Amino acid sequence: MVETFQNLYLGFTVALSPPILFYAFVGCVVGTLVGVLPGVGPLAGISLLLPATFGLDATRAIVMLAGIYYGAMYGGSTTSILMRIPGEAASVMTCIDGYAMARKGRAGAALAIAAVGSYIAGTVSVVGLMFLAPPLAAFALKFGPPEYFALLLLGLLVLAYMSGGSMLKSLAMSALGLLLGMIGIDQMTGYFRFAYGLGELGDGIGVVPVAVGLFGLAEILATAGQATHPIVVKPRLRELLPSRQEWRESAMPIGRGTVLGFLIGIVPGSAHIISSFVSYAIERRLSRHPEEFGHGAVAGVAGPESANNSATSGAFVPMLALGVPSGPIPAVMLAAMMVHGVSPGPMLITQQPQLFWGFIASMYVGNVVLLILNLPLVGLFVNLLRIPYPVLYPIIIVFCVLGVYAVNGSVVDVWIMVAMGLLGYVLRKVGFETAPIVLGVVLAPLIEMSLRQSLAMSDGQYSIFASRPIAATLLGVGLVLLILSLRPLVSRTADWRARLALAAKGEES
Amino acid sequence: MTCRRSLIAVLCLVFGVAARVCADEPYPSRPITMVVPFPPGGVADQTARPVAAAMEKALKNPVGVVNKTGAAGAVGMQSVATAKPDGYTLLLALSSISIIPEADKLFGRQPAFTVDQFAPVALISADPTILVVRAESPWKTAKEFMEDARKRPGQISYSSSGVYGTLHMAMEVLSHAANLKLRHVPFAGGGPALTAILGGHVDALASGPSVVLPHIKAGKLRVLAGWGDKRLAALPEVPTFKELGYPDVEFYIWAGLFAPRGTPEPVLQKLRETVRVAVHDPEFKSAMAKLETPVTFKQGEEFKQFFEADAHRLAEGVKKVGRIETK
Repeated sequence: MVETFQNLYLGFTVALSPPILFYAFVGCVVGTLVGVLPGVGPLAGISLLLPATFGLDATRAIVMLAGIYYGAMYGGSTTSILMRIPGEAASVMTCIDGYAMARKGRAGAALAIAAVGSYIAGTVSVVGLMFLAPPLAAFALKFGPPEYFALLLLGLLVLAYMSGGSMLKSLAMSALGLLLGMIGIDQMTGYFRFAYGLGELGDGIGVVPVAVGLFGLAEILATAGQATHPIVVKPRLRELLPSRQEWRESAMPIGRGTVLGFLIGIVPGSAHIISSFVSYAIERRLSRHPEEFGHGAVAGVAGPESANNSATSGAFVPMLALGVPSGPIPAVMLAAMMVHGVSPGPMLITQQPQLFWGFIASMYVGNVVLLILNLPLVGLFVNLLRIPYPVLYPIIIVFCVLGVYAVNGSVVDVWIMVAMGLLGYVLRKVGFETAPIVLGVVLAPLIEMSLRQSLAMSDGQYSIFASRPIAATLLGVGLVLLILSLRPLVSRTADWRARLALAAKGEES
Repeated sequence: MTCRRSLIAVLCLVFGVAARVCADEPYPSRPITMVVPFPPGGVADQTARPVAAAMEKALKNPVGVVNKTGAAGAVGMQSVATAKPDGYTLLLALSSISIIPEADKLFGRQPAFTVDQFAPVALISADPTILVVRAESPWKTAKEFMEDARKRPGQISYSSSGVYGTLHMAMEVLSHAANLKLRHVPFAGGGPALTAILGGHVDALASGPSVVLPHIKAGKLRVLAGWGDKRLAALPEVPTFKELGYPDVEFYIWAGLFAPRGTPEPVLQKLRETVRVAVHDPEFKSAMAKLETPVTFKQGEEFKQFFEADAHRLAEGVKKVGRIETK
């Protein structure tokens, strides 16, 4: 313990030295921008800036790149709240209630809560990273394909809780999402599926074009299609800050989102987006007013936004403690460390204490920088809503197209976005929720891959899921959840049980 | 970022138009595009960026890297295969350039491109794969590993970067030559494949040396043998499969520069000369040294022979694997 604080002191002397502080600041600013712009995610941002860091020493480079990573999680909420366009894939859930809050004139409050939630989650999860990295990393490695499959299946069951309206409609939408997720090369055999000769479809349908189309474009089409202009409540300056009531309602979701995001973050895989989905579902289930979700519930912004930030620190656990990438972004960061002559791996903490502790300390500093950066910007961003629709909407469409194109430089992606926009418009008209489609698109390839990898490991024996303790536990929890969610069909009184089970699941996953 | 990218796009457009006007200028008189058919951050991208920077310095002419991804690289490779052969569109490709057309053939698909649509410019790096197992596994030598694999066919598992991927092919080349039957568990990339062996979910992995070296040093993984024609400088005590009596077991993860076929010979000559200067650039050398990827420069006839031998090996590998039927 004492040693940890001594090390942290060393870290802060590194992190607060002017050059490191400068690069952390640059990273945070770039990250916020990357997060704000739809389409361009942290992966693209870090990769593009990687060559620019070649001339820097290792600590500066890593501090800056990490700043981009967690900075993007702050920025991602901005366009989600103001325009219903996810600035970053992990902000999809924020589109729902954040935008609804903006519609009610609470855009400032939503942005402020997203920023404060991100700050708390970012800071607390670094504490977790600091104290728990080595043991947690060893645990994360135990997650092989069978465990991952069980975790994802649990995530899929969460779908049942996501919908406020008809369960049938929501399941239909998630099934559609899962089907869309099957498009592309079969990872286990190399067959092309549903690609219709289009090479670009070989990699499947990306989350970004689907999310931007279904949320952003569909929203614009729907608004433009209305006979009368919707009246947007123009924000007044003194209404920028959240009310006491809103703070109270977001305190617990921020706390839960932080823990949940960190735990999901350490599991190798596509952590951020899943953590925000699960957090949203849990908050809705635990809320005393689940009917508010989808219509501007503060908890629906606070939970997911905290979760995706805390997942970032979680993702650093296997990377720093073991030199194992937990996702594409940590993989690029590992490559960056190698370019700078730092060999990542279990020896990093002992061999390069200055880098490790400087990095940890810079994350504390970076989160403060981001909070200072983001809170005053709230006022500026909210004023975007004053731009009249005939001017604002074409600009947003241009941003959607540019952002989606920039991800892969693919025109096919733009067409996918347009098609999804039209689909989203039609679905809205007939009263279907579109979020389950996005979740389906995210989960389908992961679930399929991990299921088939598990079966490849066991030579086709399904018993592999029962014989591995973590997988079996997760599947057991899923089964309980499923039974509980079916129970209201029989009797209408079992709600508290479901809440209890979900709380248990929050700790489990 | 979007702004920057769109700015680049606009600049390219302007330059593109300008170039058509002044087509007679000496090569190169406008920016060169180096297509990387994989996402940023991968091996190809990490090699391309320092190469492009060093070439830019040598040519005193901009060389931009464009990531054109899709279909495991086929989209970007196809775009260069059909690009105007004027030396302004180049491709930085990995071994998969020879695998994709073979796999297309196997599945009866119209190939997106064929290898003879490219003119090889230069080989930049070539790393032999090495065979690693977990440190607590019972096999101390490659011989023990292979004997055990023969005793228990289909029981020893290995992870790979993906089906028909380079790491899969390396293992197939070995399995075929040594008459082994191993259990293949493909992952979506080399990173997850490494995580799988570190977590104990599979028994073995064929990998490029640079990514596994830290884990070998930390005592988590044990290296049994290498696929090179000689021992690795970083692992001098590790034998090659050739030494162990398998002369046909040779495999490299390589990165090379290509131009579309039909690019004029003087332009190719200029490019080869530029790459030769670029790979000796101290900044480039240090970037590659830090990645622990040794530079293996080959050009002209030498690269062509290497490329053809490798393409033949990979084509054979794909054919041996055949279509994968799942249970």
